[in-house]
Amino acid sequence: MKHIREIFDYRDMIRSLVKRELRGKYEKSVLGFLWSFLNPMFQILIYNIVFTHVFNNDMPVYYMFLMTGILPWTFFADSLGQGTGAVLYNAEMVKKIYFPREVLVIAEVNAKLVNLLLSFVVMVVFLLFSGVGFSIHILYIPVLVLIEYLLALGFAFLAASITVYLRDMEYIVNVVLMAWIWATPIMYDLDTIHDPILYRILMINPMTTVISSYHAVLYYHKAPGNWDMTYPTLVGVVILTLGYFTFKKLNKRFVEEL
Amino acid sequence: MRQKKKDRLANTVKGTSQEYPIEVKDVCKYFRLYKDKSHTLKDKILSHKRNRYEVNKVLDHVSFHVERGHALGLIGHNGCGKSTTLKLLNQILYPDSGEIRMKGRISSLIELGAGFHPDMTGRENIYINASIFGLHKDEIDQRIDGIINFAELEQFIDNPVRTYSSGMYMRLAFAIAINVDADILLVDEILAVGDVNFQKKCFGKLREIKDHGATIVIVSHDMHQVAEICDEAIWLDGGRIKEQGKAYEVCEDYLLEMRKIEELRKKKEAETSGVQEEVPSVKYPPEKLGNQISRYVRRDGTMKARFAKVRLMNGDGKECRSFQQGEKLTVCYDLTLDKPMAYYKDGLNVAISIYRFDGLLCCRMATDYFLKKKLTYDELTHGCMVVKSLMLCEGDYIIDIALADDSGVTFDYLAHLIDFHITASWKNGTGVAALENEWHFGSKAM
Repeated sequence: MKHIREIFDYRDMIRSLVKRELRGKYEKSVLGFLWSFLNPMFQILIYNIVFTHVFNNDMPVYYMFLMTGILPWTFFADSLGQGTGAVLYNAEMVKKIYFPREVLVIAEVNAKLVNLLLSFVVMVVFLLFSGVGFSIHILYIPVLVLIEYLLALGFAFLAASITVYLRDMEYIVNVVLMAWIWATPIMYDLDTIHDPILYRILMINPMTTVISSYHAVLYYHKAPGNWDMTYPTLVGVVILTLGYFTFKKLNKRFVEEL
Repeated sequence: MRQKKKDRLANTVKGTSQEYPIEVKDVCKYFRLYKDKSHTLKDKILSHKRNRYEVNKVLDHVSFHVERGHALGLIGHNGCGKSTTLKLLNQILYPDSGEIRMKGRISSLIELGAGFHPDMTGRENIYINASIFGLHKDEIDQRIDGIINFAELEQFIDNPVRTYSSGMYMRLAFAIAINVDADILLVDEILAVGDVNFQKKCFGKLREIKDHGATIVIVSHDMHQVAEICDEAIWLDGGRIKEQGKAYEVCEDYLLEMRKIEELRKKKEAETSGVQEEVPSVKYPPEKLGNQISRYVRRDGTMKARFAKVRLMNGDGKECRSFQQGEKLTVCYDLTLDKPMAYYKDGLNVAISIYRFDGLLCCRMATDYFLKKKLTYDELTHGCMVVKSLMLCEGDYIIDIALADDSGVTFDYLAHLIDFHITASWKNGTGVAALENEWHFGSKAM
């Protein structure tokens, strides 16, 4: 508890790091910050072309279905993908001064959260002009973001601390994420899965229910199912606790291993 | 007045709780020395044997504490564990056994400029770097002008840090770390920072911070630095505390040992190479100069002419190393040489210096100052210098003596030759010089 309080005391450091991450990353590119939107936008464009013209998908306004899934997924995937190196790539800092090391992972995930919130602004514009529009269910969004945040942070803690000892973790995470995006109903609707075993497997994935809740709220204009909210919350709490304590345990030898 | 109040405050704090800002209890630290350090999965699985490591004991049951407002110096050879100790105090490393307790905000001048982003301006980097030390934004807002001012970067503060020279970079980093207002300041090999003026400023700032009650731990190879700024020092050797005590004493002992090692090395070298290089203090051990010689004595010079005997005496002409303030002090010496020095007919000079224990020069007295001319060897052979009235404040002092010629050749230089002590009443003040003073009061006093 004392330690969590200490992390809270370093909130200004988290803020500085987030700022550094967001500003520093695109400093030298011409389009700068826009890249963090352009990336998922091109992804959406490509999937849209492939799925509507190659696989003859006939969902109405399919690109909005894609967008409402891919943007939240990008938050999760980037948090985990880049959170994995949070300690490793800040080795110089970790070796030099004391601060609660959790701060590095939190800052990484928070930076991605800021990206998500900004990309929501773009999404709102698309929702308006595509004719999909809004419903009152949009009020679920903050809860969904929070649940996703728990999951992202938990997995990032785990990956970041293990990577210091086992450098392969970075590549393993990349491979896992590559599979994970297909094991989550982002490009397709969960209802199209008829194989009961496959369906079960997909439902174990906490991101399945998170993304289908986003779809429900933003694309289908309906409330997410109760289990769809409860399950990822439970997994999120467990993963975050596990991640936090793993990180705390492994953190003692970070400097020696870096 | 303010100082006294602070002292009282410090005393009460000490008296009531007996808790120190830094407490290290029985700490051990091991490093794993991997025979083939590898982090990849393949290696972890395939080469189970190769992944074995040796355990290297870096710190071996080390315990100490530091009082509030005190400065501790950590000294020792490379690899003795002093930097590791500092990192443990800074919680960058964690002990394998034992306990470390730290009270208050910690700032470190261990490696400066951590977390600087080259593309961001100096000002933005101040915010990032200071926040890493745990400062909140409003606290940084308060300090930022002081930091910029201290770093002398007013004109450049809004330029990206990558455009800075390395000196500017270090100045900025140092200015941030030292303006954190920490309760505990950890310093590793400071004062490699910037030019001489900036170093002076840093030293001044360290002193100021210490006077305000901060506790400082310094790791340094520079014994003068340690003796000057630290109250206590710990000499670490092979992960154990070899000596602990007053900073100047520990430093002197350390230097003494270093000299011994150096002399041994030279001797060995001379033996192996066959070239007989003379080590003055080995060929002519300074300990034989008299009964009062300090164990810290160092000898240097060509030894063509040298001191044969040196004595320190009181007013009664008795050998003595303890004086009353205002007493008469006499230093007598005899010179000797191996063969007559025909061409040094003139231009020799004997100088005697009195230092306070911490290295402050109190007075240098020399034959050429006194006579306004140099003397020949024959004239100088036996001599005594008399200080009629020893008006120095109470404390420990050191005598150096040197024999040199006009052109700057030193024949014999004996540093830290004799220690002596002065006792005094406080009526002549504190400090170095005991200036005799009288006080008058009332309107007539003007």
